[in-house]
Amino acid sequence: MFKVEADLTVTIPSSTELLKMVVELTRHAVEILEFPDKEVQQIALAVDEAITNVIKHSYRYEKGRDIRIEFFIAATGLKIRIIYAGIAPEMDPEAVSVERLIKQKRKGGLGVQLMRKIMDSVEYSSSNGLNICEMIKWKKRETVG
Amino acid sequence: MKHFQLRSRIQDQVAVIYPKGHLDAHHVERFEQEIRRIMENRVMRIVINCENLDYISSAGMGVIMGYLDEIREKMGDIKLCCVNNQVYDIFDLVGFTDIYDFLKDENTAIRAFA
Repeated sequence: MFKVEADLTVTIPSSTELLKMVVELTRHAVEILEFPDKEVQQIALAVDEAITNVIKHSYRYEKGRDIRIEFFIAATGLKIRIIYAGIAPEMDPEAVSVERLIKQKRKGGLGVQLMRKIMDSVEYSSSNGLNICEMIKWKKRETVG
Repeated sequence: MKHFQLRSRIQDQVAVIYPKGHLDAHHVERFEQEIRRIMENRVMRIVINCENLDYISSAGMGVIMGYLDEIREKMGDIKLCCVNNQVYDIFDLVGFTDIYDFLKDENTAIRAFA
């Protein structure tokens, strides 16, 4: 199970310029766990989506606000916690189909769906002015070292 | 080094867009502007050649999704070709592979509009 303290903590200012750096960092952190390559790429994408949502919806593209990313690494899996202030997220309880998004001519709505498809668990919470997005990906039994 | 580059050309009344590199929320505006520019020129047959596209997040996929209905209403379509396995897996996760045509190569994608 995961330790109380994060194994790696990074705080970045809210800026979409840094998304690629976060993706690269996540890939390296996930590689330590020897996840299959496909899952490494997808977990990094899930973090990109979570950070993009923070910048877009909670900070409304305001630059320089803090986003703290914590990685918890265990033999059985990976927990990523993203801590930020700003507007608390409102999540649709149900996934909207791509067909419906297309009919509505929407360009958004895929990010959280991707996070939920990639990760085993995605939870949002808010308290005392801070918002937390916590995502967990378990290693499949045959890849647990 | 630029993380994302874009060029496009028109052949046989089909616009072919070549996104290259890492397409995320930071670079998506340029991608969207290119699609809008093509549509404003009344070209509604679009091929996105993903041969050099290493990465796409929902921001890029949202642009491909957001204009599809308008393009199909105008008797056009968006087709994708030359998608590498990693990027294809992402398109597949959100269900794009059921909605868009994914072709093996660019000529096949262009000919598919004939």
